Amino acid sequence: MHKKLTVYIFTIFLFVIILSACSTAIQHNQIQFGILSAQNGLWDEAIFRWKKAIQHNPDSAAAHNNLAVAYENRGMWEEAREEYQTALKLAPKNNYIQSNFENFKKNLEAREKVQQEKKDEKK
Amino acid sequence: MKLEKRSNRKKKMKRNSFLIIPLLFLVASCSSVDYTRVTVEVPIKTVLDIQQLDEIIITDFLIKKEAEDFDMNQELVNFFTTEIKQSFKGTVTFRKTSFENEQLFKDSSFWKNLQAGPQGAVFFTGIAEYSKEVRKAILETKKKGAEDPFSRDKAIEERQFYTLNLDLYIIDAKTGETLYSKAFKESQGYENPKQTGPFAFYELTERVKQKFLTNILGGSRLQQRYLITD
Repeated sequence: MHKKLTVYIFTIFLFVIILSACSTAIQHNQIQFGILSAQNGLWDEAIFRWKKAIQHNPDSAAAHNNLAVAYENRGMWEEAREEYQTALKLAPKNNYIQSNFENFKKNLEAREKVQQEKKDEKK
Repeated sequence: MKLEKRSNRKKKMKRNSFLIIPLLFLVASCSSVDYTRVTVEVPIKTVLDIQQLDEIIITDFLIKKEAEDFDMNQELVNFFTTEIKQSFKGTVTFRKTSFENEQLFKDSSFWKNLQAGPQGAVFFTGIAEYSKEVRKAILETKKKGAEDPFSRDKAIEERQFYTLNLDLYIIDAKTGETLYSKAFKESQGYENPKQTGPFAFYELTERVKQKFLTNILGGSRLQQRYLITD
């Protein structure tokens, strides 16, 4: 009987530890759900989830980065730029955000080049 | 006796399983990966908003230098008609046109006189030149056999180079003004001495297509991005 009780107490103790350790992950469930949605091509759902994650925690660099990627996919360049910049302010040393932003900037330069060509053509 | 022991063990396992399963579930749901790579389709900005138009009229091309083994004008017309039809929402038609010289491409009255019809339309046309060149060079080749792995033979090697010069024009059918034009010079060398002209031509026009048509018809570029978790 005593042995059983120890097992139960130990298990409950383990639950409490795991739950507290994962509290952050549970809080950011929206981010995970958004990633899953994006992987399945459901970008609107992903945007909705990451926006919610930002509402809960405006200092989440991950949510801002992911939202920027989604905006880029939608061709919403200004919104994407703002979100990348916010993400980089929150986590300036994050390699993934840096890489995303570098690629985004390259696209933006190409777009500006096309716009310039358009202007030159009109002249 | 043994049977009793076994049944006791089974009972214990059953009792513990209700604890193990939720534990595993919790661990699985809490474990998270740093990043996930996703493919995004980044829309390409178009130079001309050609999708707003009703019709693209493909005309004949002015061929500066005819190819030896195929009808270059026909190949270009067929190629661009097929490609534009795939991504243009309006209608794509062909208009037989004969050009006397290159100056006509800048002559707005010439294009106006072609009478495109009442709808908003543009002419898709161009000037093409295709050439083949054989280049020879003395190159070092590895010697066969394992006597001296560093020794090399010298031999005359031949490469066939094909060059396509293609100036493409988008001309407003109403005003005869050039809306967009771009000149391409694409070149490709082949080691195979039996390489045929039409095959190389197709490869080169494919390159032009990727550069030019995405500029006017739009499209998207596939790129990789990182989605991350905090």
